[in-house]
Amino acid sequence: MNNTIVTNIIRFVSLVLLQGLVFKNIGVGWESFPYLHIIVFPLFILLLPLRAPKTLVIFLSFVVGFTVDFLYDSLGVHASAAVFTGFVRSFILQILEPRGAYNMSYSPTISRMGLGWFAQYTSILMFAHIFFYYSVEAFTFVYIADILLKTLVSFIASMAFIMIFQLLFNPKQ
Amino acid sequence: MFNLVQLLIKLSGFLVFLVLEVICFTLVVRYNGNQEKVYTNTVNKFTGWLQQKSTSTYQYFQLYDENKRLAKENSNLLDRLANMGINVQNPLDTAWADTLQPVYTFLDAQVIRNSINQHHNYITLNKGSKDGVKPHSGVVTDDGVVGIVRKVSQNYSVAMSILHRQAIINARVRHKNYFGPLVWKSDNIHTFNLDNIPKDAPVTKGDTIETSGFSTMFPPGIALGVIDKMWMDPGSNFFTIEVRSFAKLSNLQHAYIVRNIFKQEQEQLEESVISEDE
Repeated sequence: MNNTIVTNIIRFVSLVLLQGLVFKNIGVGWESFPYLHIIVFPLFILLLPLRAPKTLVIFLSFVVGFTVDFLYDSLGVHASAAVFTGFVRSFILQILEPRGAYNMSYSPTISRMGLGWFAQYTSILMFAHIFFYYSVEAFTFVYIADILLKTLVSFIASMAFIMIFQLLFNPKQ
Repeated sequence: MFNLVQLLIKLSGFLVFLVLEVICFTLVVRYNGNQEKVYTNTVNKFTGWLQQKSTSTYQYFQLYDENKRLAKENSNLLDRLANMGINVQNPLDTAWADTLQPVYTFLDAQVIRNSINQHHNYITLNKGSKDGVKPHSGVVTDDGVVGIVRKVSQNYSVAMSILHRQAIINARVRHKNYFGPLVWKSDNIHTFNLDNIPKDAPVTKGDTIETSGFSTMFPPGIALGVIDKMWMDPGSNFFTIEVRSFAKLSNLQHAYIVRNIFKQEQEQLEESVISEDE
């Protein structure tokens, strides 16, 4: 129990720092290609324990999004996407529920759920998150084609990094 | 009640989501320039559209009142149009030379002293040089001419009444334009004589006498009185005309002092011609 909380706190801090200090600058550095924006911090939301109540997940999503917003100086943009992701997470978990039901004491990691399941779960939620993020960033659907293109490119890059992290660290919870 | 609580628990995730998203969007709009612009633009468009719709609807309901107002205005304008040539001595405040420049302006004054029973009667008015009154200005009321300003102090002016033997007013017969001096004969406060009307002039009893406008004191067309009696003295080339005046000098309370804005210019021009001939 305590171990879970500590793990999640460490994950929170490291993902936020990674996002705000490393990937933020990568996005800025490639100015010739402004469509790319690597977003990894939602991994914190995705890897929250399965037994965490819905409202807590949404609230923690808000907190992590808000923290990233401080580093990005874009108050509310990441937070709204994160809250959306946290909200959608329970529905996706319902849809992807395996035959034997979840073992509620774990987090949905590769080592627990398998690579296929995890790739599916992560890609759906990450796509939702990134699409929502770019929609809020543009704040209008007038440029929907632009939004979709940005979403696609950033989604692929972000997914690559998330999978690499997962395979590298391969957390149990 | 229990069902409601259960429903709330069931919906708690959604409610928290909704509240947090509202907070997020408020922050987005509040602290991000780009999004704020989009937001205000959209909101302005929407409110503008709404306002336009509501205004046009509102205006539709206002049509009845608007119609009534326009009808009233129309009738007023028609009244004024119909009366234009007739009631020239209406209580004018300003007569306009053209649409832009007034020739005569009228200054409201109170009569503070008045006499009618002397050979030389005077009226004291409570407006003076402070108010822009100058000597040789005309004094009129709604009923007609009452006098001519003689002297002005800072706060007061004294006008000689038309009931003054030396007060001569340039008058003419309305619509016939024969003109002559109107003078008081000092036997009756209502009786005046109009001189210099030639005996071939088609003037009849009952014709109205008005100011001619030849002097700079009075605007043309202020009614003075009607011809009461007229006859021809033997051996004279002119009518002897007795005029009964309209002016009610015995209960005078208010009067207007006439100011002719071009008075000086006109008088200077006329004087320069006269002095050239002498």
